[in-house]
Amino acid sequence: MNLGLQGQERLRLGVIYALCAIVLIWALAPIYWVAVSSISTRQQLYARPYKIWFPSEPTLESYKTIFTQGAKFRAGGFSPTAHLMSTGLRNSVIISVASAGIVTLMATGAGYAFARMQFVGKNLIFLLIMLMLPLPIWVSLIALFFIMSRLELIDTLLGLVLIFVTLLLPLSVWMMTTFVRDIPSEIQDAARVDGAGRWRLVYSIILPLARPGMVAVFLVAMLSTWNNFLIPLIFTRTDDSQPLTIVLTLFIGQYEVAWEDMSAAAVVTMLPPFLMALFFQRYLVRGLTMGAVK
Amino acid sequence: MKAYHRIFSSDSRYVIVVLAPIVLLIALFIYYPAVDTFRTSTTNYNLRVRRPPKSVGLNNYVKLLEDDEFWEVTGRSFKVVIITLPLEMLVAFGIAMLLNQRFPGRAIVRTLTFLPWMLPGVVNGFLWGWLLNGEYGALNGFLYQFGLISEYQYWLREPEHLIFWVTVVQTWTRYAFPTIILLAGLQSIPDDLYDAAKVDGANALSGVRFITLPLLLPSFGIALVVEFIAAFQIFDVIWTLTAGGSAGGAMNPFTKTLMLYNYELVFRDLRVGLGAALSYIILAMSLAVGMIFVWRVYNQGVQEQ
Repeated sequence: MNLGLQGQERLRLGVIYALCAIVLIWALAPIYWVAVSSISTRQQLYARPYKIWFPSEPTLESYKTIFTQGAKFRAGGFSPTAHLMSTGLRNSVIISVASAGIVTLMATGAGYAFARMQFVGKNLIFLLIMLMLPLPIWVSLIALFFIMSRLELIDTLLGLVLIFVTLLLPLSVWMMTTFVRDIPSEIQDAARVDGAGRWRLVYSIILPLARPGMVAVFLVAMLSTWNNFLIPLIFTRTDDSQPLTIVLTLFIGQYEVAWEDMSAAAVVTMLPPFLMALFFQRYLVRGLTMGAVK
Repeated sequence: MKAYHRIFSSDSRYVIVVLAPIVLLIALFIYYPAVDTFRTSTTNYNLRVRRPPKSVGLNNYVKLLEDDEFWEVTGRSFKVVIITLPLEMLVAFGIAMLLNQRFPGRAIVRTLTFLPWMLPGVVNGFLWGWLLNGEYGALNGFLYQFGLISEYQYWLREPEHLIFWVTVVQTWTRYAFPTIILLAGLQSIPDDLYDAAKVDGANALSGVRFITLPLLLPSFGIALVVEFIAAFQIFDVIWTLTAGGSAGGAMNPFTKTLMLYNYELVFRDLRVGLGAALSYIILAMSLAVGMIFVWRVYNQGVQEQ
């Protein structure tokens, strides 16, 4: 068969788009299905064998339910989780924004010190921070639980933020150190000659130039904190500090719970990471694959 | 006065102010607890028993190594790794080859393809539990409507199959990372190599076999090490997919992997000494396997040169 150059190109694109369709179904079908479930009525979801792939009358009832009443049990009645969604949302936002903000500031200051200054113990401190990357921190968490109990930081937002900041340090410091190192040093030398101290230098020269790096660190830190489950599982007990990832698992409970309500809760939990992945993926990928890709 | 000035000069003050909180945090939250956990692992510390913990030497380690449940759980963790890694690499390699082609709309396909990786693991477990549900899951609806099954299947009913579904969900959660690594590797292979091979009469398939795969070995190596650690320490996905992990609820014994077992020992059974010992065994195993991977890939890479 002779297709000619144009025909060949069309065939090539046809094959590629067909493969893309398969890949996208694999990647997105579970996400699509939970989104559809969350705006369907129970009758539509439980209909069998006939399944509809988009509700004929989409409804936001489930969202209203989870924020005002908690999940409906199948047998009727509501779970005791009524206000957990709102407190969970509040806690998730506070923990992830605070941790990301603090770690970004700390990493920027430290990144400059590691990239541009000489001081006693520099290599040792850098090594001690970076060793946390390959070592599973699980061994630390067991004893940390008892330390946090003694400090009365269990089930507090402050305790969670302190732990997350610590866990985020190695990646963040590494990102900022390499970022500051790539800023041409001529600009800084000129400022040094003018007699600017380190603080002035960092504040007025480095901060503006390092902004893209800081944005990447902030986004990666926020995403990791929002998605984390193990830390709050160990260190939270009540709605004082439980974030959405924990609240979602409480919905499962010991009873059969309405799936459409849980779907709505799952959508709320994954919406911020979903939007971040959609709009800031370039930053996130760069940060999350740091060191693995040159 | 001069020495004072030197120590508290602007430079030193900067370093101290910036690094002191960091050093304090990692010392108090990471290194001291790590040592403390080890010390605990040599005691019979148990919160259920009202007695002061006393030192038992390495007894906890011996007890674990002689325990059948420990070996069963360890075997299951390695099973997860052994199924997940090839599955993940296969998916990642295929998608990386596809995304390495030039076509309009590639950027958006790429963005959408990498989405699952950035979602919370607990949500992913839930999403798949919902898809695979026997009574109203979407997979049944889909297969039924296309006539591929004649009645609804209970995908998550057979306990022996559960671990397979765990690896599928883990693959779905993680494949984006190896894909990105392999894609970067693919983009660093110069086109001239394929052209030269074509002149020598090679077809597309032998190009993949003799050029692409060997040159991608280092990328595969990095991806395998990172994904090994992720699969070996799997937790969130299992918790929502099969563990039925409500507070106080029983843990599903058929998907209990090392991390879940360790969590159960410490935070449910309150056998802290034993759990601490297990955490160090997990640490040793991750490090050992990680090193073997790095060493083998490195050696192979050296031989290829």
